[in-house]
Amino acid sequence: MEDTGRMAAFMARIESGEKIEATDWMPEEYRNLLIKQIHMHGISEIMGAYPEKEWVPKAPTIRRKLALNAKVQDEIGHGQMLLRLAEDLSRPYGRGREELMDDVLDGRIKFHNVFHMEAPTWADAGVIGFLVDGGAIITQAMLLDSSYAPYARMLKRIVAEESFHMQHGEAVVLALAEGNQAQREMLQGAINRWWAPMMFFFGPTQMGKSAEAMMGYRIRTKTNEELRQKFINRYVPRIRALGMTIPDAELRLDPATQEWHYSQPDWELYNAMVRNNTGPRSQARLALRRQAHVDQRWVREAMNAAAQRIANQGSERQSAM
Amino acid sequence: MDNLLQGAAHGLMAVIKPIADDEWILGHRGSEWLALAPDLEGDMALSSISQDNLGHAQFYYELLHSLGLPSADEQVYLRTAAEWTNAHLLEVPNHDWAGTIALRYLYQVFDDIRHQGLLASPYQPLTDGVRKIRREAQYHLQHFQTGFEMLAIGTDESRQRLIEGVNQVWEMLGDLFSWGPAEAFLPDLGLQGVSEKVVKTAWMDRIEAQFRHLGLPEPAAIPQPALNGRLGQHSEALADLLDEMTEVRRIGLSAPW
Amino acid sequence: MHESQTAEFPVFEVFVQKESLGFHINVGSLRAASPELALQLAREIFFRRETAYNVWVVPQDCIFSSPHDEAHLPVEGMDKRYRLPGGYDNATHWKRFKAKAMTIEEVAKDIRS
Repeated sequence: MEDTGRMAAFMARIESGEKIEATDWMPEEYRNLLIKQIHMHGISEIMGAYPEKEWVPKAPTIRRKLALNAKVQDEIGHGQMLLRLAEDLSRPYGRGREELMDDVLDGRIKFHNVFHMEAPTWADAGVIGFLVDGGAIITQAMLLDSSYAPYARMLKRIVAEESFHMQHGEAVVLALAEGNQAQREMLQGAINRWWAPMMFFFGPTQMGKSAEAMMGYRIRTKTNEELRQKFINRYVPRIRALGMTIPDAELRLDPATQEWHYSQPDWELYNAMVRNNTGPRSQARLALRRQAHVDQRWVREAMNAAAQRIANQGSERQSAM
Repeated sequence: MDNLLQGAAHGLMAVIKPIADDEWILGHRGSEWLALAPDLEGDMALSSISQDNLGHAQFYYELLHSLGLPSADEQVYLRTAAEWTNAHLLEVPNHDWAGTIALRYLYQVFDDIRHQGLLASPYQPLTDGVRKIRREAQYHLQHFQTGFEMLAIGTDESRQRLIEGVNQVWEMLGDLFSWGPAEAFLPDLGLQGVSEKVVKTAWMDRIEAQFRHLGLPEPAAIPQPALNGRLGQHSEALADLLDEMTEVRRIGLSAPW
Repeated sequence: MHESQTAEFPVFEVFVQKESLGFHINVGSLRAASPELALQLAREIFFRRETAYNVWVVPQDCIFSSPHDEAHLPVEGMDKRYRLPGGYDNATHWKRFKAKAMTIEEVAKDIRS
């Protein structure tokens, strides 16, 4: 009975546009949806570091090497900020950073389809910055209006940093488009590889149960299809302006509805890839994450032990005084 | 360069080049740790430091360019291994975390002493840059010193791994302090403070004191270099590194990137 | 530490968040016997003339502060334009391809509208 009243008051707050804080009462379902969303968002940022990281050693100029380094660092930083939120939300379940990171290695949390793919050329590093970050910016701009205040606050920081990512990705792509034949072919190849994964990226037009529930709680405020349309509308003219083609014969703007028609990506293929980590690079990247998190747990344990030792010495010294 | 005699410019370039190369190779290897550090926060710290290292190298390469060498980008991307003068220990593939922390701490103490000596130069473009670089390098030293001390007192495992890391790095210390032919220019450049002997002595004093403080095994004497990177003698590791580093650039040496 | 009777209250640092999407900012400190009292008193001491969205009080001895030196604080070192949006000149290049440059502000506005 009390719960029904609390629930009604909670929904009234959400519907009036009020923001929810970590310490506020919230229904279990809201908490679990937030954890699911923010955990996956954070882990995807971290897994998203790998395809670009591969290109830092090979970046072709000093400037690009610095910028790509900084960009990958920002992705880790976004992962850090988001995991901190998911950790705070998971506290009632007694779960912290160690567990939330273990989850991706044990297959309990998924990461975005795009980060399961190969990035075989320098142009892929550029197109990831251009299209994948472009798509992420669109999603994240929507999340600025999330009903969960800590998420909306962090998104402000994240979106501000994405501004540099956008400029960096565009700069790489523009340079390739202005470059020699080999460079332009490389760019076209990367666009061909990334277009279909980007169509999948925004999710199915008919949204799943939890995505619908997130709309109800205003954790998110736009449908998958609305976001995909914004993306197509923004990137198609620009890709074509560069003299590149988009690998979709069905792609056209319906003049009546102003909606884009596009070929459906292979939903089954990408869904299975995300669910089972069976993409071309899923296992290799998970192995790197395991190397960082599991194989180096001894470092974190040692740092904690050292900090404990230092604190004990401090209090011994104090009590001796 | 107007106020520099031709000879002085030649000597300055010979001194600046190995410093630039040390910082670049360090930044390159450091970047390989991206997304692989034991914790996210530490990952970001190391990445900033790598960016700083690359930025320091860029400053020195631009200074060298102003003294007559090709552009900074050309110096980085168009040289063969034998033209690089970085110290050997910086070019080898990354060690485990403890070995990396050991290497970085030992290097940062060296770098700190080298910076202090460089500040005596009458060549203002150099000292202006070194002053700025030091602002960042002092943090690098602090960061790796903290890491080094904590691994030393952390757990039996971390202490053992740190000692192994120190031993691995120690074997390759030989050429770090060497200037090769540039040593002869130091007195005329007002840079006796960075001579091999001065830096080595000051470094050994600081390292011995730290090892004593942490109860680590007394360090051995600094070995003679098997390869002297300052003379362009390098391991296969540098050739491999450069091969990978220039892979994209070679698609269009003069293309826009 | 020795347990002893004292009349001196501990110090709490006070942090205020002005609005729900803002961050907490330190506005000063006060003495109080307990955190609960510190929260109540912060209201009187710092917010007699203004509103707040949220207040934190933190025992002062829980705060670790950086020394004012270069090893601990971000300083202006080398050129960092490579990681700033302003360090890029994409608009000129887009123009060459007869396309419009994008900014994040414009994207965000478009999505949120």
